[in-house]
Amino acid sequence: MRKLPLAAAAFVLAGTAPALAEHCPKDMLAAMENRLSADGTAVAYKTDPAKIAVGKPFSIEVVACVDGAAATAPTRIRVDAGMPMHGHGMNYTPSEKKLGPGHSKFDGMVFHMPGAWQITFDVYEGDKCRRLTEKVKIGR
Amino acid sequence: MSVPRPLRRLLWPLLAAGFFLTSAAAAADAPVSFTDDEKALILSHGPWPVKTGPDPSNRVSGDAAAIAYGKALFESPDLAIDRGRSCATCHVPELGHGDGKPLGVGRVRVDRNTMPLFNLRLNTWYGWDGKSDNLWAQSIAPILDPRELGMTPEELQPRIAETPALANPYRDIFGADVTDHDAETAMVNIAKALAAYQETLTSGRSAFDRFRDALAADDAAEIASYPAAAQRGAKLFVGRGRCDLCHFGANFTNGEFHDIGLPHFPEQGRVDKGRYGGILVLRRSRYNLLGPFNDDAGRTTAGFTRHVRLTQRNWGEFRVPSLRNVTQTAPYMHDGSKATLADVVRHYSDILEERLHQDGEKLLRPLNLTDGEIADLVAFLRTL
Repeated sequence: MRKLPLAAAAFVLAGTAPALAEHCPKDMLAAMENRLSADGTAVAYKTDPAKIAVGKPFSIEVVACVDGAAATAPTRIRVDAGMPMHGHGMNYTPSEKKLGPGHSKFDGMVFHMPGAWQITFDVYEGDKCRRLTEKVKIGR
Repeated sequence: MSVPRPLRRLLWPLLAAGFFLTSAAAAADAPVSFTDDEKALILSHGPWPVKTGPDPSNRVSGDAAAIAYGKALFESPDLAIDRGRSCATCHVPELGHGDGKPLGVGRVRVDRNTMPLFNLRLNTWYGWDGKSDNLWAQSIAPILDPRELGMTPEELQPRIAETPALANPYRDIFGADVTDHDAETAMVNIAKALAAYQETLTSGRSAFDRFRDALAADDAAEIASYPAAAQRGAKLFVGRGRCDLCHFGANFTNGEFHDIGLPHFPEQGRVDKGRYGGILVLRRSRYNLLGPFNDDAGRTTAGFTRHVRLTQRNWGEFRVPSLRNVTQTAPYMHDGSKATLADVVRHYSDILEERLHQDGEKLLRPLNLTDGEIADLVAFLRTL
């Protein structure tokens, strides 16, 4: 298992960066290094630092939008992560700092082991939640 | 020369056995080769030592006078209510700053094994349950614990004041007589001096470090001087054993908490809450990094504490100990239940999966190691 910068790992695992939802504000999403979209929901994010190291805190800045007749900002974004193969999540709960509509930064993320992690982005529009996931391999 | 038939019958098995033993010995001494992946994983356990700076939460961290004062406090029975023991009673330098006993014994026996005190600046959490997020808070715990030194801040303050060898350095380091401070502040300052001393207890470069650096430099002669059994153990450690997922990095620990299927009942009907209890204590503590005694106004190292998550799976979890100097720190595990390194390796070889939390780690499964593999892993551990 090799250590990869997150951006590179995301690219390898996702194949190619998916297209953004049609009506989402592309300028805001384009500023982020990593993009996901499914079922009319788009998420773009970057981590700080860009390269995630085992046991070291990092933050994720996220923009998300829900595609409808016109793109709308979600009412809430929630970010978490876990190791599905090991059956555990993070030992830390990230805290959210809202930067604007559909735009938040989550501090306090820590991947405490090397291996296959999965970041989950829960994008809420009212009561409706759509989950997008990103697989990330963290090297030893 | 002809050999009589009865003798021939005896000779062939002897020759065959000799051939087998020679082959086995040759295999045991055969050079060990590593794949590029294995090399990279072994290199990730160094270089050593890791550079550290002063602890920003402790304004006397790294201060020479505070370190000397901390050592005097560490060895002083005046910190115990009955003057019957000191920190050094249970943290004996010759025993890896542990006590060599399965469970620590203060004024009474406690529930857990005494942890060694090496390389503490590298820790995020302290104690088996991580109830402290800094070393000075962890140093307060045994002072106040009625099972250990059994003091209160109000009892400790006059003890220091009436002992010139402890009162004078306090004034020099903290800028006021110990009685000029309130009792709680005085206790925290004393704990910060204790922490400053304990930070200086580091483990030196080991046979593994020389091997690791030789591997990095492709120095065949130095690599060959590292025992073959330890090399095979290193392959197992980063390979099939996957030990390095938790015993990660240069300090051979990820510093976090895992359930490894050990009992967590110190006695019938009483449970050791492990990490679950540790987080509860941490959050209640006035001495955590979010509290008023942190000398770092920016709280730059408090992120772990601010974000730590309490979950049901924390029951039965204990901190992953460093493996550096591990030969000096027997017996092993949070309950001191494993007398030898071979016992520890056998635990992982034969681990009972049904003892693990249902919602816990799915990483652990029996390794089913042979006796030879167990011996190789032990040989590796002995070099750390």
